[in-house]
Amino acid sequence: MPFTAREKWDWLSLTYDLMTFGEDRRQGAEKRRLFTKVQGRTLLVAVGTGNDLKYLPPDCKLIAIDISPRMIQRARINARRAGGNIRLVLTDAERLGFADQAFDTVLTVCTFCSIPNPVQGLQELYRVLKPGGTLLMFEHVRSKIGLFALILDFMTFLTRKFGPDLNRDTVGSVLQAGFRLQREENVYLDIVKAIEAVK
Amino acid sequence: MSAPTQVTEPHVSRVGDYLAGALTGALTAFAVRATIGPQWDMVLAMLVGMAVGMLVHMTLLLLLIPLLGTFEVMMPGAIIGMYGGMLFGMRDAMQQAYVPMSTALEVGALFGLLVVLGIRWWDRQLRGVVFARPHSPRVS
Repeated sequence: MPFTAREKWDWLSLTYDLMTFGEDRRQGAEKRRLFTKVQGRTLLVAVGTGNDLKYLPPDCKLIAIDISPRMIQRARINARRAGGNIRLVLTDAERLGFADQAFDTVLTVCTFCSIPNPVQGLQELYRVLKPGGTLLMFEHVRSKIGLFALILDFMTFLTRKFGPDLNRDTVGSVLQAGFRLQREENVYLDIVKAIEAVK
Repeated sequence: MSAPTQVTEPHVSRVGDYLAGALTGALTAFAVRATIGPQWDMVLAMLVGMAVGMLVHMTLLLLLIPLLGTFEVMMPGAIIGMYGGMLFGMRDAMQQAYVPMSTALEVGALFGLLVVLGIRWWDRQLRGVVFARPHSPRVS
């Protein structure tokens, strides 16, 4: 059984594309719609296997990071396919090796279900974002509807050890990190959301 | 809450949701029937039925998530497994002799279809912009 986040995601890289195939078919259009708002120098946090790179605008200037070397290895193939100006960097989202105010846009896709300390991670994104810069997130969160929240809490009890948490209050964490919420949209029930915030 | 946005999901995913719901319901009904005896205490039958239903649901999750998406399978599947298991457990403790297996499977599949229908309706109500600052343009 893997222990660290890096080891966990190295393992999950083997089945990641298979497990997200159905989700990708359903939510690809919604991701593409959100990604059209990417502007300027952009940081993609937790690129994974690079499956979402195809939804980015072709002229995007992107630095994509991940904590898992195996994910980065797989993302290289998708980055080549996507073309454009993409640089892949192996680093931890909670301790980014970038200067303050280095990016115009920060983008995350199903990332903050897995960052061990989400507020600390978001504060780090706040640091590297220029004033007035945009945080774009495509994330799943804990439902506010009791029936669904109960299911997500129960499933998190099972998934936490080998995968993501399913019951995070990511919108709350965004506000706690100092961002101003601009827009919140439900993509599936009130669980999968497109979130836009500014520094 | 604004009006729901246009749904862009593929037709095959929509059909898949209903098939997955019917399958989860029928398999839950089968597993509960195979577990619960006709003379069981009804409370015990309800609790065991719920546990069996959740086990069926979690097993199917691994098979269906790659095809249909995590939450689109998990939400209806958990409700079918949990509540279907409870209902089927109580029914099988009371009426097992009067309800043949074929009817139990049909009722299970119907229950699954109705749960999927309900969740999809709920999704339509919730989908869309929940918060937007005035200068944030709405993209439809």
